[in-house]
Amino acid sequence: MAAPAELYCWEGDWGLPSVNTECLIVLAYAKFSGAPLKLHKIGNPWRSPTGSLPALKTSENGSLSRPCDIITYLRKQKYNADFDLSAREGADTLAFISLLEEKLMPALVYALWIDPKNYVETRRWHAEHAPFPLNFFLPGRMQREQLERLRLVKGDKDLMGGEELETELYRDAVECINLLSQRLGSNKFFFGDSPSSLDAFVFGYMVPILKRKLPSGKLQQHIKSLDNLSHFCSNILLLYFPTDGRETFNRKVPSHPEGGDTDNEPWKRRKQILSVVVGLGAMLCYALLTGIVAIQHVQQESIEHRSPSLRSLSSHEEEEEEEEG
Amino acid sequence: MSLAAEAFVSQISAADPWPENATLYQPLGEDQILLSDCASSLAVQAYLRMCNLPVQVCCRPNAEYMSPSGKVPFVHVGNQVVSELGPIVQFTKAKGHSLSDGLDDIQRAEMKAYMELVNNMLLTAELYIQWCDYNTAAEISRPRYSSPYSWPLNHILAYQKQWEVRRKMTAIGWAGKSLEQVYEDVSQCCQALSQRLGTQPYFFNKQPTELDALVFGHLFTLLTTRLTSDELREKVKSYSNLLAFCRRIEQSYFEDSQAGSSSRGFSKGPSLF
Repeated sequence: MAAPAELYCWEGDWGLPSVNTECLIVLAYAKFSGAPLKLHKIGNPWRSPTGSLPALKTSENGSLSRPCDIITYLRKQKYNADFDLSAREGADTLAFISLLEEKLMPALVYALWIDPKNYVETRRWHAEHAPFPLNFFLPGRMQREQLERLRLVKGDKDLMGGEELETELYRDAVECINLLSQRLGSNKFFFGDSPSSLDAFVFGYMVPILKRKLPSGKLQQHIKSLDNLSHFCSNILLLYFPTDGRETFNRKVPSHPEGGDTDNEPWKRRKQILSVVVGLGAMLCYALLTGIVAIQHVQQESIEHRSPSLRSLSSHEEEEEEEEG
Repeated sequence: MSLAAEAFVSQISAADPWPENATLYQPLGEDQILLSDCASSLAVQAYLRMCNLPVQVCCRPNAEYMSPSGKVPFVHVGNQVVSELGPIVQFTKAKGHSLSDGLDDIQRAEMKAYMELVNNMLLTAELYIQWCDYNTAAEISRPRYSSPYSWPLNHILAYQKQWEVRRKMTAIGWAGKSLEQVYEDVSQCCQALSQRLGTQPYFFNKQPTELDALVFGHLFTLLTTRLTSDELREKVKSYSNLLAFCRRIEQSYFEDSQAGSSSRGFSKGPSLF
């Protein structure tokens, strides 16, 4: 391969290399297989060559968007993390990836995009990371896409049905997480001592649930209660993404002694200044529209009028206005 | 089925034994049923036969609209209606009939994972071939799907269904796949199943589980259904242990009761029963 392929993916946060499951899968697989990729971490999917994230720009095959396609491409380039697996383990990999896609994906979409409390956070994150005009409609558009996806995957159901759907999705997800925890047991990775593509998928699905700070975190609590899975995730983060983990660590250290609110401090100050500016602006506009403009005119006019010796009646009135103003 | 109802059902149904007059509803077997529905229906029938629970198959043109989840098949047992294999397995378990009790935790995890593999790849591939391959949709799926209805309802319903499936494919990222890639996916899935099965009689040794029922339902249907091209059938046929597996289940669970009705073989057309 002449030049390394370019990978476009969502930016990271909360100590994660990326916030998005699909991006995390690709990033983890690339690390596991040692594929050299040129990374572009962006907050605007429109800058990606396919219009969605993740996207791999290759020199010969054009751009790829689905994690499976990207992994297949990397495999063809001899970056294969599954080289040591037996055929039976390869079959298990496929099966467990299907399990994740069928059982955990809907719950993850629900937790991030539909749960009303969490959606506020998700929306805020995407609005803050998208450039100016896009931040107004991009999060809403992404939510509509995800809603549609969930509706089609789960069949014809009223998604605003609320609690019933939530319990059903979370029950499936909890079952899936339990099954994975049982399969992992006390191993370091799913198949022996080196990570494979299944580890990348499990990591991609679990770690956002585990690390994202969300107001309603039922799934998060559940994963935290399963020691082997939470160890598995933090272990991969530590071994393969040490820089991302350290960044947040450094960021947290200075903020800690000042108390919990310090994270919001810059935003608070900015908001205060902004509201004062807006308030002043509004008052100025009001003043300009109602009285002050007229007075400025009066001053000029009254100077003009004062020069002749005779004072007109109108200038008297205007002087009174000036005093009132 | 809604969750509240499900919890309720599992509580009250535990006491009732399986009635003699349980009925399974599916679309019309000869003229209407499509590959994917046929596979799901066969999987449920195989499961119930493995559990030794009698069920009468009843074909209705509007089965899809009778089902509580909009998906076929569904069973009507006593005063309860349950659709799809997953909920039906839970339902029978509540009544004390289960095939997977003998498995340990890891085996159960693997069984669930392989069942999702079949749903995720084989079922989606069947839906893709039915509704997104132009020839199959025009020659087989739309005419069969709409056969009970008169003009103009037949066109409206068939295109509505096709539109719905295509949007689903877009949502899960299959819309950009070519037919060749879908065949390749089916092949990959069969390869995985074949590897997992190995030389065992069933996926988990001597006793069949719901996974065996599901795999049998899909593979047998793929093997016996005539589509516009034979490629899919040939792909499945190339795995000899899967072929033997289908024959074994057919012989053990279907042949005795079917002996008189028809001489059904692997080379027959879409009518299974």
